[in-house]
Amino acid sequence: MRRGELLAVVGENGAGKSSLMNVLYGLYQPDAGELTLDGQPVRFKSPRDAIARGIGMVHQHFMLVPTLSVAENVVLGREPTRNGLLDLERAVREVADTCARFGFQLEPRARVDTLSVGSQQKVEIVKALHRGAQVLILDEPTAVLTPQESDELARVLRGLVAQGHTVVLISHKLKEVLGVADRIAVMRRGRCVAEVRAADTTAEQLAALMVGEGHRPAVPSAPAAATSQAPGERLLEAQGLQATGDNGRPALRGVDLEVRAGEIVGIAGVDGNGQRELAEVLTGLRPLTAGDGTLLGGPLAGLTPARARERGVGHIPEDRLHRAVVKALSVEENVALGRHTRPPFARGPWIDFAGRRARTRELTAAYDVRPPDPEVALRALSGGNQQKVVVARELDARPRLLVVVQPTRGLDVGAVAQVHARLREAREQGTGVLLVSLDLEEVLALADRVYVFFEGRVTGHFLRHELDERELGRRMLGATEPGHA
Amino acid sequence: MLDVLHSLLFSTLDAAPALIFAALGAVLSERAGVIAVGTEGMMRVGAFCAAVAALAMPTPLAVVMGMLAGAALAGVHGFLSIRWRSDQVVSGIALNLVALAGGTFLLESLYGPNGTPPIQQLARWNIPGLSGVPVLGALSGHSAPTYLALVLPFVFQGLLTRTPLGLRLRAVGDKPQAVATLGLSVPGLRWGAVLGSGLLAGLGGAVLSTAVLDRFEQHTPAGLGFMALAAMVFGRWTPVGAFLAAAFFAFGNALRIGLVSSAPGLVELIPQGVLLALPYLLTLGVLALQGQRSSAPAALGTPYEQESR
Amino acid sequence: MPERLRQLLPSVLSVLLALGVCWALIALTMEPGTATKAYLQMLWGGIGNWPAYLEGAAATVITRPLGEAAMKAALLTLTGLSVAVAFKVGLFNIGAQGQMLLGALAAAVVGAHVTLPGVLHVPAALLGAALAGAAWAGIAGLLRIYRGVHEVISTIMLNWVALSLVDNWLVVGPLRGAAEGGQSITGTAEIQATAVLPRLLGDGSRLNLGFPLALAAALAVWVWLTRTRSGFETRAVGLGAEAARAAGIPVARRMGLAMALAGAMAGLAGAVLVLGTEGRYPGTLGAPYGFDGIAIALIGNNHPLGATVSALFFGVLRAGGTRMQLLGVHKSFPELIQGLALLFVAGRMVWLALLRRRNVAPAASAEVPRA
Repeated sequence: MRRGELLAVVGENGAGKSSLMNVLYGLYQPDAGELTLDGQPVRFKSPRDAIARGIGMVHQHFMLVPTLSVAENVVLGREPTRNGLLDLERAVREVADTCARFGFQLEPRARVDTLSVGSQQKVEIVKALHRGAQVLILDEPTAVLTPQESDELARVLRGLVAQGHTVVLISHKLKEVLGVADRIAVMRRGRCVAEVRAADTTAEQLAALMVGEGHRPAVPSAPAAATSQAPGERLLEAQGLQATGDNGRPALRGVDLEVRAGEIVGIAGVDGNGQRELAEVLTGLRPLTAGDGTLLGGPLAGLTPARARERGVGHIPEDRLHRAVVKALSVEENVALGRHTRPPFARGPWIDFAGRRARTRELTAAYDVRPPDPEVALRALSGGNQQKVVVARELDARPRLLVVVQPTRGLDVGAVAQVHARLREAREQGTGVLLVSLDLEEVLALADRVYVFFEGRVTGHFLRHELDERELGRRMLGATEPGHA
Repeated sequence: MLDVLHSLLFSTLDAAPALIFAALGAVLSERAGVIAVGTEGMMRVGAFCAAVAALAMPTPLAVVMGMLAGAALAGVHGFLSIRWRSDQVVSGIALNLVALAGGTFLLESLYGPNGTPPIQQLARWNIPGLSGVPVLGALSGHSAPTYLALVLPFVFQGLLTRTPLGLRLRAVGDKPQAVATLGLSVPGLRWGAVLGSGLLAGLGGAVLSTAVLDRFEQHTPAGLGFMALAAMVFGRWTPVGAFLAAAFFAFGNALRIGLVSSAPGLVELIPQGVLLALPYLLTLGVLALQGQRSSAPAALGTPYEQESR
Repeated sequence: MPERLRQLLPSVLSVLLALGVCWALIALTMEPGTATKAYLQMLWGGIGNWPAYLEGAAATVITRPLGEAAMKAALLTLTGLSVAVAFKVGLFNIGAQGQMLLGALAAAVVGAHVTLPGVLHVPAALLGAALAGAAWAGIAGLLRIYRGVHEVISTIMLNWVALSLVDNWLVVGPLRGAAEGGQSITGTAEIQATAVLPRLLGDGSRLNLGFPLALAAALAVWVWLTRTRSGFETRAVGLGAEAARAAGIPVARRMGLAMALAGAMAGLAGAVLVLGTEGRYPGTLGAPYGFDGIAIALIGNNHPLGATVSALFFGVLRAGGTRMQLLGVHKSFPELIQGLALLFVAGRMVWLALLRRRNVAPAASAEVPRA
């Protein structure tokens, strides 16, 4: 790292970017190697050491105490005191000062759990700057921001660099990184394989470095092949869907959409705009508060997961570890989940062990799951193989409507390609696929039609040939009319 | 009428401190995120050690021994829960069982089934000028722990809400990761809370055997540790709330005992058993009405893993 | 190391360590040689005085201790099952004691006040006990499902409510047994002869139908959990409630039913105590079998068969406890061994780490499942 620059660290999932930063911040201890700061070797045994040397970190998952205020969160660990008691007034003043100095708009007394995601991130940054961080590390900061908030963040970061700070940005969004960084370091499988100047490289080159020779990454440079058939019957038709989110606030505020057999419908949008809740409504995991529709011949109201499955809805959920699989159970038990009450997995009230075993073996062979042992606990499999089990299970049930959420998160390039291929295959066989993905590139690569979500409403609907990233971005920000230029 | 109130207040002020200290200990531990099911066991070892120590040293010193015993048991809980991330409820229940069996075993082996030999109880203090006053005079004539129990909850509340340490403690019970990424020590804070809760629970137990009674009995603390948990929940995990709940329960108990002798007719109407069950029923009622998740510390019971992301 | 062995070892090692520590406790505080002799007495007291028998003593020196051990084991098995079944669905049932109390009371009432032919009376009493226990556990279950109240706190509260209501009101008040021959008795009325669990070895010991009943219950629970659809669903809920829900499993229903089953098991324990040995609800239940069930279940790794083995083991130890008094060791000694064994089992991770250092392949530990 050089002083006063914005260095981006890119790499695939699992390349080691976050781990490296955690070592820099003192959260992990290195097994080997050394760290030199300003010419002196240093050893950070805990974040305290790192902070003392002027290193601050903003994590991907915020490290804020929700029940405390902004000021309390920022000063935690270096609280101003008066006669041994906490001097909250001074804390508020000091935090307000820091905010003003760096151009942040934050209310120091507000409770953190009342703030928006973007504001919470700013609190994290202020937290680091308040401690005199000269080096600021940000781990995937734009994953949860709207494009507009991302632009603002980029401005803030460049502003910090202009003031002499050093910023390290971990990201996998190559285009964004090219726009804001001075230099880019590429990591692959735990090693730094290249350091280049942003001005000297392109997204394709970076992607190639990230995956090594011979593979093409999932950055679509050409639109994927469109479906060969016209969409069939209407599987899902919904009007005015409304639902409440986990935090008690409305998540869906009147959504109209439809899905037909033999097409992939993409749902695009920044995280937290209702897409997740839509998927949950369609799979019976969340009740509707208003609106209705028909799903595979029955009403949407009063849907439960069991009923959804009976009608023919398949579900590849987002949070695999918690929603899709029970990792302590064996592979074959996980394959049975969802259809465990029916043959070949059960006979009456009894489990059909032989049938379950046989079907599992078929599927692990067909999907190349490794290791192919049905009895091994699912947690012994890698993330990619676990996802293969999930995809295999859901597709084997021959669903008529398949709801897929973030299917390739955390997977390496090979696994991503396989999953995409299976989804296209399902489409060819007449399944209607509803693909919810935060990865715009994935949506662009797979979808025949795209709905854009913003704040619980559909702000745009595009057919494949109408897809334009700029316009999509505007709709993701809430625009409902086509823009100019 | 005033007489009745006076004697009720007096009994309450005698009986409540043990419960108050134990409840405060539970609050301390759980606010930092460590479940305090082992409070009953810590009280038991505190009571036993204080009663035995008082045979060989001045009683106030024996009380300190009791506190240290409670802290020692808490140390085992901390070792299992913090260092080894064991399930905190299992650890607490195990300690309760060990304290139960161990206490019975040691008592009967050393002293027989009727309890430890009687000891010199803690001295009672008379506040000059108050002794003759009706009702308020009930404040006079108690041993030191009573007065401590009236003051400590507020001191504790102040510490929790107005000092840096209190802020960190609250943070570590709600989101330990936040605390860790700021360079503070999660285990350190939690160890402090657990050992502190052991000292307090041990003090509660010691009060039972050196002030309320003059010995350690077979069944001490006879479920008081669990009632302390009820007080903690009822008091919404705050020191003053737990204090008020504990005082309320103790007062209710004194009332119940008082009614038996002075108004037996009432006892026919509402059986003793129902009155005894009342603190627990009330706590259940509060929990049912409010749903527990809203007020307990967010990270309660989840072991903190350093390497998790 | 095979997975199953790795699951078993911490439990076995914990028990061995507890035995060892307690042995040392005696060895250090009493005359030399007492420790081993005391342990032997505990053994003979549990599985029978084989040396005496082999020298020609009557069979009762074997059957009586075995009977005591079996009866204690039966109670521990049932309460152990109660806790283990709840764990399987991800709930911590600390309320087995209260559930057992209510089951015992229900059995005593049905046994004393209902008149049925023998063939029906016992099942009726057992059913009443099971239902009472299930209902009591059901309260905690409902509070958890519909109000999010953590079952640890609610079951602890319910234990004390049960104790207060039963021991301090019902049994000394409305359900109090009538005085007999001018002597007032503690507890409820004596149960009728048709409700008594028949003895299996005649007068040779107190071994009664309760023992095979407990073993049958353990077997039934095991078959249910491993071989039926609903058992599979229950385990899935305990190991991954979110995923179970997404898979269409009715999570709330499974939790409620498992909790009710847990309560029923504990209630049956109460019934076995009343119908088999006591003959009435005694003034107070005595040993905290409900809490012991927690130790039994955890030492048995929350597995129905493991809990049974653990119950048999500790049943033997506890029956033998009375004989230890001959050597001056208090009869509550086995409870100390049990408590320490639980404490060591609680440090499961410690065992796994120690085993790992001996180049045994580690895997994730079997944690207490939390729904």
